[in-house]
Amino acid sequence: MSNFWMLRNPRLCWLLASMLIAAATLIFVLPLVVAVLWSLVDPEVGWFPPDILPSSLSLDNWRALLAVPEMGDAFATSLTIAPCVTLLCALLGLPTGYAIARRVGRYRPALELFVLTPILMPGVMLATGLGAFFMRFGLAQTIPGVILVQTVVVLPLMIRIVAATCDAVPADVIDSARTLGAGPLALARLIVVPMVMPGLVAGGLLCFVNSLEEFVLSFVVGMPKVQTLPMLVWAYLGGRSSIITYGAVVTLVLLVPTLVVLIVIERVVKQEYLAAGFGKA
Amino acid sequence: MTAISLSRVGYARPLAPALRRRVETVVLLAPGVGLLALAMAIPIGQLVLGSFDLTGIGAAGAFTLAHYVEVLTNPLLRDSLLFSLEIALATAALSTAAAALFATLLMIELPGKRLLALLYKVPLVVPSVVAAFLVVTMIGPGGMAARSFSHLGMTWPQLIHDRHGFGVVIVLLWHYVPISTLIVTAVIVSVPADVIDAARTLGAPPRVVVGRIILPLTAPGLSAAALITFIDSFGAYAVPSLIGPPYPQTVAVMMTREFLRRANWGVASALGMLMCLTTVVVLFFYYRLLLRLRRSRA
Repeated sequence: MSNFWMLRNPRLCWLLASMLIAAATLIFVLPLVVAVLWSLVDPEVGWFPPDILPSSLSLDNWRALLAVPEMGDAFATSLTIAPCVTLLCALLGLPTGYAIARRVGRYRPALELFVLTPILMPGVMLATGLGAFFMRFGLAQTIPGVILVQTVVVLPLMIRIVAATCDAVPADVIDSARTLGAGPLALARLIVVPMVMPGLVAGGLLCFVNSLEEFVLSFVVGMPKVQTLPMLVWAYLGGRSSIITYGAVVTLVLLVPTLVVLIVIERVVKQEYLAAGFGKA
Repeated sequence: MTAISLSRVGYARPLAPALRRRVETVVLLAPGVGLLALAMAIPIGQLVLGSFDLTGIGAAGAFTLAHYVEVLTNPLLRDSLLFSLEIALATAALSTAAAALFATLLMIELPGKRLLALLYKVPLVVPSVVAAFLVVTMIGPGGMAARSFSHLGMTWPQLIHDRHGFGVVIVLLWHYVPISTLIVTAVIVSVPADVIDAARTLGAPPRVVVGRIILPLTAPGLSAAALITFIDSFGAYAVPSLIGPPYPQTVAVMMTREFLRRANWGVASALGMLMCLTTVVVLFFYYRLLLRLRRSRA
């Protein structure tokens, strides 16, 4: 990086930094604090405008919602689906990502674009098309159906991240392993998988988060028998009824694992992989 | 004897090396590309057939264009197409401009830069329904902004369920400005430092460096960010269904309603085809732009 990006006046530097951090806190962190407050509002007293802070706090909403079976069901459903989707994506994405990075030569840009199409197409369109198809095979409104449909939109991230990581594996290592007589399975187990591990971990984390968050496809394919956490948030925020305090509780239950994953990703994963995952062309 | 049987197991009919390699490549590609190809072909096939009333096995009907005519003439559906286009254009333009600004600011060596880099990524892991909820608690009626305004004796404008979909655009921006910033940052970092240094040494002021070097070199990243934002907000379902205006609704909302509530598969398919077409047209222009950029640089 060039010194073009240096600000020479230290006072200006601090001013700009504090303004940016204040704005980022206001826009990205304050809503989370407000969500915590909403989840703690005492249902007997409420929190009405123009009060800036609720006058009394309680854990009643948490207790009430944890006692509702659909909350536990949604939690269990989401945490069953996400690991399955992650595993499936790893199994399918590893060979394909490797082949795209190493084997296809001039077809690579075309294949990379093709792999992205499920993300580029409107989710509702995929959801209704696959949903209608699943109905015929009894996959609609089942957990395997939702796993399959989520895999379609999460797998592209995994393939791209694995491909981006495979670029960094030196060709000599693979060639010498082959020359020394390693078969395809030994090559995968001893060389490729260990060297691609950082990408697999990054991709796996992203897949997990994306599966937890996915809404439209799970909604169209899973409704009403399979209900994930985002669908519960949607239901409490006006989709079915408007109970903002319950919405806040489910929101926090959903956000805690994803924010933890974000911090892990930020520490461990290179920015390029993240950008590759989000479809940098 | 053993030697012969071994060779049978291991190398029975050795394929020509080139062919063998090709077969291997296809086997490696098959799981991922195959699944995605199926997952694209099935819905698109369903849509094409459904929109002309030719749906599948056993239920074959007569070819008709009635569903397309209905989508394009029914004011309810036509307005929803226009409304989706407006929202997508506004979101893509504003989010790309903001992302370019933030990515540039993030390149400056500032104290607390790592904290800033973490903070702005929060929306990346927030589901769109939750984003809608979080933003509504800030700008909705009874939200924090409205409460603070009433203390100051001012009234906060209505931004949720408003006629123009401002609320929807604000939530989408909250979501897509960080994603776009991430993409643009990755591209800015790849601008070679010596090019910038050379321009500076030759006396170019920062304004010229940004305008003549950094912007052109980051154009592919900017256009990619704009493209992703446009396509995603054009097909947005969760946010407009929760906080959009009662009329018009976005295409995705109309399509889901026709499909799930009214089982009107023909009209839903025709709407889906129009969404697809819009996406394909946008993608086409995007790739033409990319090609032109590449050629002009070479």
